[in-house]
Amino acid sequence: MTLLEVNGLKTWFQTPWGTIKAVDGVSFTVNKGEILGLVGESGSGKSITGFSILGLLDAPGKVVDGTIRFNGEDLRAASAARLRALRGDRIAMIFQDPMMTLNPVLTIGTQMVETVFAHRKASHAEARAMARDALGRVGIPRPEERLDAYPHEFSGGMRQRVAIAIALLHEPDLIIADEPTTALDVTIQSQILSEVQSLVAEMGMGLIWISHDLGVVAGLANRIAVMYAGRLVEEGPVDPVLDTPRHPYTQGLISSTPIANERGRPLRQIRGTAPPPLDRPQGCPFQPRCDYADAACASELTETVVGARRWRCLHPLGVTA
Amino acid sequence: MSDILAAAENVSKKFRQNPDFAERLAIRLGAAPEPPTVHALDGVSLSIARGEVVGLVGESGCGKSTLGRVIGGLMKPTEGRVLHDGKDIALMRGAEARKMRLDTQIIFQDPMSALNPRKRVAQIIGEAPRVHGLVPRAEVAELVQRLLATVGLDPAMAERFSHQFSGGQRQRISIARSLAVNPRFLICDESVAALDVSIQAQVINLFMELRRSFALTLLFISHDLSVVRHISDRVVIMYLGRVVEVSPAGQVFEKPLHPYTAALLEEIPRLDRRGRRFTAIKGEIPSPMNPPPGCHFHPRCPHAFDRCRIERPALVAAGPGQEVACHLNMGKGLAHLPIQQGD
Repeated sequence: MTLLEVNGLKTWFQTPWGTIKAVDGVSFTVNKGEILGLVGESGSGKSITGFSILGLLDAPGKVVDGTIRFNGEDLRAASAARLRALRGDRIAMIFQDPMMTLNPVLTIGTQMVETVFAHRKASHAEARAMARDALGRVGIPRPEERLDAYPHEFSGGMRQRVAIAIALLHEPDLIIADEPTTALDVTIQSQILSEVQSLVAEMGMGLIWISHDLGVVAGLANRIAVMYAGRLVEEGPVDPVLDTPRHPYTQGLISSTPIANERGRPLRQIRGTAPPPLDRPQGCPFQPRCDYADAACASELTETVVGARRWRCLHPLGVTA
Repeated sequence: MSDILAAAENVSKKFRQNPDFAERLAIRLGAAPEPPTVHALDGVSLSIARGEVVGLVGESGCGKSTLGRVIGGLMKPTEGRVLHDGKDIALMRGAEARKMRLDTQIIFQDPMSALNPRKRVAQIIGEAPRVHGLVPRAEVAELVQRLLATVGLDPAMAERFSHQFSGGQRQRISIARSLAVNPRFLICDESVAALDVSIQAQVINLFMELRRSFALTLLFISHDLSVVRHISDRVVIMYLGRVVEVSPAGQVFEKPLHPYTAALLEEIPRLDRRGRRFTAIKGEIPSPMNPPPGCHFHPRCPHAFDRCRIERPALVAAGPGQEVACHLNMGKGLAHLPIQQGD
């Protein structure tokens, strides 16, 4: 069942130097109980996509076109009050830096109780019990005691768990997680991924996992969406996208990871760098770095849909015309 | 084994908070506890052969950056010696010490904080060789052009400021700057960690190319085992201030000896591990202020037994080119255990 439907989303930033098209026509859906991995390099627009859904854009950022439907409701038309009621209750966000979520001068318990009161009528004791249960769910030992601790008394991994516990308080239908494990060590990252995995399976929520790490997404997600320069260049179920990527950029990302290369040999690399946001090429944004590009790539791109997969490329790999 | 370029001998580094006057008084009177000591390095020995690439891996707080700085001469060890070409760097003076410092260059993780934002690229790269008289003043500009080309940047960009470059390009500038003084030994401290995947591949390739063309010795510090395995000849794994395993890079993935190495390998996110059940090793990394006794890893180790809780395992040879600090199997670590595979 479709939980979130984003269609033709365009988020632009008007600056004195020109318009930055951070998100430029992105469409995808997230179903209940599904994990969508949103992959891209810095500046590709993956975080802005997440912020746009939640209505968390700072000026001059603005959604200029497209629709965002959540449980059938048009979020672009929703009032500020309605969005505030949804955020933290039905849709929650987890940030890369848990200190963006946590207030350093309040105890964890106070902050969690506040979050409960923001969306529910409850007694203080009930709210505290909910907070305690949420902490227990994300694997924090002795949750009752830890409610009285301040954020600085937790390690980085534990803080991120607290941030996840706050996101889970109201059992949201959709969680948007923006690189939540990027700053963590490998062993701690694995612990958090395992908690997230079982929570999604248990509670049947939808999850958008924004990451630059294909390896994490390969292990966690059901579907992968690859972004490049504000566009979604390829999307589909994890296995086919990683085994037989259609877009040369996806292929490039996969083959430039050390694991895909013989030890000590030069890594296969994508040449050049991503285009500056104010000076993107006409047509396919990847063409200056692409080995397959020709004159036709400068024309506006159309999307090809085949079964559960889709891509935006005139010269898809492994497809004979 | 070829001759040793740089070596750390039984190096320890302790960091201690410096109490102010009031605190010192309180401590003297017994009203306050002694300030805690962090054992960043605890009896670490490591030698790096000429032309070798050694990868140093560990999680945050394990002391890998401290070891890099101690070997690079930026920090003095609390105990132990650091040797360059067989000489103790603490005893070097004058021209000899300067030569050692030029020979050894460090490339940091964040090029933005390593490059002066108010200087042009030509000044950043050209300053050290000019000040040290390595090239005549008239030839500095030419050297800068050549170095920029070497690291894959357009020499025409020499008059720009560092903020006008992307992250990958800035890292290339800091590499060019360190190459300007003809070093023999590069210490790369998480030099590719902040870069995007496609740019990371380019910079890793650049390091491998430079190593060949300049006959460099590299100490490559990273938390990313797959990057280290790719670029290194030998991999050193650290945990909480101690070396737990040394292995030839080709063998680390196939035959991990220390349970910690095995756990790290299990946890690396990999493209070929799809839809897996993540099962993490339990527990947190303990605080280096208060490390557990015996083997530091024992509270998280699935194989720990009584001896691990009491006695510190020594780093001993466990196979050709392999060393491990573990009590399992008479000090051979996981060598003879059936290898456990994740699901």
